[in-house]
Amino acid sequence: MSNIPEKRTIDMQVIGDWVEPNSKVLDLGCGKGELLGYLMRQKQVISTGVDLDFERITACVERGVSAYQGDMASFMAAFPEGHFDRVICSRTLHELHNPASVILEALRVGKTLTVGFVNHGFWKNRFYTLFQGKKVKNLIYPTEWDESRPANPVTIADFEAFCKRKEIKISRRVHLLGDWKSPCRLFPNLLSGYALYDLSR
Amino acid sequence: MSMTDEVAVEPKSGKSSNHLAPGDVGIVVPHDFVYSHPFAFKSGQIIPGFTLRYETYGALNATRDNAILICHALSGDHHCAGWHKAEDRKPGWWNNIVGPGKAVDTNKFFVVCANVIGGCQGSTGPASIDPSTQKAYGIHFPFVTIADVVRSQKLLLEHLGVSELHAIMGGSMGGMTAVQFSIEFPAFVKRVLAMATTARESAQAIAFNEVGRQAIMQDPAWNQGDYPRDGGPRVGLAIARMMAHITYLSDTSMDRKFGRRRTTLQNQEGVPALDAPFEVESYLKHQGQSFINRFDANSYLTITRALDNFDLAQGYTSLEKAVACVQSECLIVGFESDWLFPPEQNREIALALLKCGKRASYAELATDLGHDSFLLESEELYAIVRSFLGRKTNATDFAI
Repeated sequence: MSNIPEKRTIDMQVIGDWVEPNSKVLDLGCGKGELLGYLMRQKQVISTGVDLDFERITACVERGVSAYQGDMASFMAAFPEGHFDRVICSRTLHELHNPASVILEALRVGKTLTVGFVNHGFWKNRFYTLFQGKKVKNLIYPTEWDESRPANPVTIADFEAFCKRKEIKISRRVHLLGDWKSPCRLFPNLLSGYALYDLSR
Repeated sequence: MSMTDEVAVEPKSGKSSNHLAPGDVGIVVPHDFVYSHPFAFKSGQIIPGFTLRYETYGALNATRDNAILICHALSGDHHCAGWHKAEDRKPGWWNNIVGPGKAVDTNKFFVVCANVIGGCQGSTGPASIDPSTQKAYGIHFPFVTIADVVRSQKLLLEHLGVSELHAIMGGSMGGMTAVQFSIEFPAFVKRVLAMATTARESAQAIAFNEVGRQAIMQDPAWNQGDYPRDGGPRVGLAIARMMAHITYLSDTSMDRKFGRRRTTLQNQEGVPALDAPFEVESYLKHQGQSFINRFDANSYLTITRALDNFDLAQGYTSLEKAVACVQSECLIVGFESDWLFPPEQNREIALALLKCGKRASYAELATDLGHDSFLLESEELYAIVRSFLGRKTNATDFAI
């Protein structure tokens, strides 16, 4: 497995390709604003990030990224339908208490929703649990269960079934192998390490 | 809204050399800006001229664009950093954040702070002499609004040769002034940093101010606002201050600071005496007593009225419409334990700005000190202030 900063770059490039220049972008769980900073430079987007942590908001401010400290659901509730051209939810999904309502709300305030997540159906994760009999621990999730944030692991199969059930249109999908670089063409739920989707209603 | 804690422990270094501490601006001298043209208030009332007392720290650069205007809260003044005399017990009210190398770095910025119009620390206010009557204005002083505070301070900045504000910042009423300034003069302000503030005073905040005003006006010495300079409703003003001071703190911080400790022992039978007050009582009494020595009761009425009438959305159909003209980049900081201007009211400003597509951020500090948290010595607060002020305006100048 390659190191994590490199993986973040791959994630940025795929989402960066999808983002239209000068569009209004909202990043849910924006962290230190790396992705939005990148999109502001590359695509001149009008960006806003939402995160829960004061120090991460400070990092956004330092970068010149507009950021709002607070709960993403109540933030989105303040905005009218279709206010953002694109809402991004990159590696945040598995930490949400109520993923369905966040996704549906993001599809209300955003014309498009981009989702990126680590596929917990990836064969290495399955083998780890099967043979170790333990919570998955790797470069992406390096902590023991007792020091991990509550996670709600999601697989490609789970996610696609969800979109079908909620009648969410998948306009683009990218499945990457375990290196998070090479495209995965077969059996994505087993062979893909990272998945990206562009969704709309 | 208050000044910093009046019963603060003396610094360890000994008070005589406080002003020489590294990172402090040292001994400062206040100045008076005398505007000798008629000044019309929003109410339509006109005074023939006014004085604003102010201080500056640091130097204006050649392009005249490194100025930061600091706006004070209800009971604050122009003295926000440094010391007036070597033997002063305390420095300016925001000395912890303003100084060489501090979050508001006076090596980089030309920092200006003025006492508001309607105030009583050297600026023209109700205690000033009305040239037409040769008596103090008293309650006949024009009705002051935050917009009037803004417009008078803009004249000061022009006088100082400031071509644009790098930033305007303040907490509480200072935050209101900062946001209002960027609405009145959108092109003049690059950055707005407003803390512990609100877009409009809530019924609760108005209610507290009204109790304070009633304490003053029910004091017979108030005499319809007509009282001698060294007299006036000292009891009423002290009570107003005591009550208001409670709203600047929090249950947790008061409990930590005072608990149920008493200043004097119970009497010999172990029965609590009526004159055996709790520490919190003597603290508030001290707050009240020191306040009446530096504040004018009519100014208190004037400025609390300005606060109560503050409503950014007034005259617009919504708060978004009110901030639609803002060109500044904005940072709003709320404090978790602030129950006077709670986080929700700070969020509302940031959300309105974001809804209009403005560059605005909202951050919230988890302190337990209540409304006065914005005066707190907090590395986290310094870091975000430094980031916001120190950065170039254009995000594309920065690498990942």
